[in-house]
Amino acid sequence: MFDLLPHILNGLTLGLLFALIALGFMLIVGLMEQINLAHGSLFALGAYFAMQLMGPRPPFPADLAQSWLALPLGWRYAATLILAPAAVGLVGIAIEFCMRRTYGKDPLYGLLLTFGAAMVIEEMIRLTWGTRDYVLQVPQAVNGGFIFGDLIWSTYRFYAAGIAVAVIGLVWLLIEKTSFGATVKAGAHDSEIVRALGINLTRLRLLVFVFGTMLAAIAGIIVAPIWGIRPHMGVDAVIPAFLVIVLGGVGSFWGAVVAGLLVGLAVGLSGAYASEWSLLSMYVLLVAVVTFRARGLWGKKSMLEA
Amino acid sequence: MKRREISRRSVLKGSLMASALAGTASYFGPWKENRVWAQGAAKPIKLGLTCDASGQYGNSGQDDLRGIQMAIDEANAKGGVLGRKITWITADTETTPATGSRLAERFITREDCTILIGAVHSGVANAITQVAAKNGVIYLNTNSSAPSEAGENCSRIKFVWDGNGTNFSKASVANAVNSIGKKWMLLTNDYVWGHTTSAATRAQVEGAGGKVLDNLLVPQNTRDFTAYLLKIQQAKPDVVATAIGGDDIKALREQVAQLKLDGKPAWINNQQDWPDVWGSPDSLFGVFGTTWYHKLALPGVADFVKKWQATNKEGSIPVPGNVSYNGYMATRELLRAIERAGSTNNVKIIKELENLKVSATDRMQHFDAYMDPVTHQMQQTIYLARRNPKPADKTDLYEIISWTEPKAAADTDAQAKCKLVPYEQVPTVDS
Repeated sequence: MFDLLPHILNGLTLGLLFALIALGFMLIVGLMEQINLAHGSLFALGAYFAMQLMGPRPPFPADLAQSWLALPLGWRYAATLILAPAAVGLVGIAIEFCMRRTYGKDPLYGLLLTFGAAMVIEEMIRLTWGTRDYVLQVPQAVNGGFIFGDLIWSTYRFYAAGIAVAVIGLVWLLIEKTSFGATVKAGAHDSEIVRALGINLTRLRLLVFVFGTMLAAIAGIIVAPIWGIRPHMGVDAVIPAFLVIVLGGVGSFWGAVVAGLLVGLAVGLSGAYASEWSLLSMYVLLVAVVTFRARGLWGKKSMLEA
Repeated sequence: MKRREISRRSVLKGSLMASALAGTASYFGPWKENRVWAQGAAKPIKLGLTCDASGQYGNSGQDDLRGIQMAIDEANAKGGVLGRKITWITADTETTPATGSRLAERFITREDCTILIGAVHSGVANAITQVAAKNGVIYLNTNSSAPSEAGENCSRIKFVWDGNGTNFSKASVANAVNSIGKKWMLLTNDYVWGHTTSAATRAQVEGAGGKVLDNLLVPQNTRDFTAYLLKIQQAKPDVVATAIGGDDIKALREQVAQLKLDGKPAWINNQQDWPDVWGSPDSLFGVFGTTWYHKLALPGVADFVKKWQATNKEGSIPVPGNVSYNGYMATRELLRAIERAGSTNNVKIIKELENLKVSATDRMQHFDAYMDPVTHQMQQTIYLARRNPKPADKTDLYEIISWTEPKAAADTDAQAKCKLVPYEQVPTVDS
């Protein structure tokens, strides 16, 4: 049992990261009913913007760049956690403008559009930063390892899990405990009534989409020091994100969080005890759940179900 | 307004469509072709370059391509081969066997390529081999180092130019068992190169009196190695031998370095490809193998580096490494073999390559190299290296600690496993 505990802990921290990766994807699917296949590319873009901001050549005029580089690493990192998602949010605005013609139509239109956007973003990344790998610098305080239970653990891993918990909590508060969240949910439920009440639905959708893209960027920044930064890193993110929301139930906030944790545990435990199954385990889990519960763990009940 | 609810069915339908689109996009392009036609000139010899541009070995595939192109450019600058220009076509094999197979078929049947060159992933190399063998087309496996490529998956039409897992294990394992410790753990990429390389390492460890505590299979495209690193810490081995490649080894190296696990246990990383090292130079650790290094103090190396740099100014990698070197050497020797054969007949070229001997000076290695006629694998100097504590410049990442002559590192098991078909059974191909 003692041997198992480190792997359960590892699975839970990994699960929180999966939940963080899926969060923005889930919000856009759940609240806008749009499948944003550019989620992975926006995740990657967040990591690249952060790497550029934290690197030796920040994208500022010379004077500002000098002052920026003079700041302690921790301050720069904290500012990057805001600036990089904000920059990705601008890209999100552009994508949302393009998506407006697809609203109210078959979801496949939006899916095709975001698939195209994903390809464009990935190629832009290759053109701008090349195909080489990059490493995101992080403050010393969250880097390195610590000894616990006779094992060396990654400090960053626990920091990342902590950030994931904080972001999940904040998003939940925003959606469930604010009037903005209530309006957004109402808009998703019945857009015509919301519009009739005088609420600007166009702006509401823009805000939700941009919020979702910024969450993708935050996930990219947090995960980058573990996975590394490379042009196709978005593909590594979008597939588990997709899987987590289907497993948790499309549109369910807590479904996505619990599904993320389950996927993390499956990958972590199989990595230790049946290592060749570690990546496959998440798909096996999905098949097992969907076989017995077609709408996922917390998905909305279909009218066809008795 | 009609409301459309998003359902699980539409999400799944969407994901299927996205996968189909992704596959289709790579099938139709981007294609790149370099034609050197001149009116009245002899018909060019057309090569199909099967190089990865994406996936686990995307970076290495493109570095392979740079070396291959350099050899072709050199030949064309001298007037071509047999008075004929060399043209080529390439497309992304995506580090995926199915794509490799499809492209090989397309290059041969629709693009009239009579020779195929390029591979990093052994699964892709094997898939291309099947298509090439069926058509009698010569195939140069430039950089895939699975022992099976020159063993059970060898072919009369295929020539393997990289050192393989057994070569590197022979050069490193026995010494490490005696000097570091007898308890070993294996960390193995879960595909043919990883399996065959780890099998070779296990045989060497047990042959030297060591014991393999466990072999952890790592699925391709694994990004998080924490579970494996915890397991290794729990088992407390003396040595961890890895057969992890491409983007996976870069992620592993970063995570090992972050935890400072790079000192104890000792790490032996089978072969490290230069594009993977250059992609993440700060996390280089352990002892690892290579077939070439751009700062070997040997005649011709500096000139080769200069020429390579002159033709690859825009690239993301500043100096050639083992992958580009293998691509260059394979292509150069092929073109020379055609010249010596005085013909583009496939069997004549195969016979020339089977008898290939290259001097150490010409190879820019420490020992003479030769093609094993039984396995079709180039037998060459095997280098062991570690991180350079005193680099002369930012590219000087290796400290070469030993070089083993080809015979001492030869993969003798491959000779028993490789069964080449007789020449008469190879379909005739002439460019």
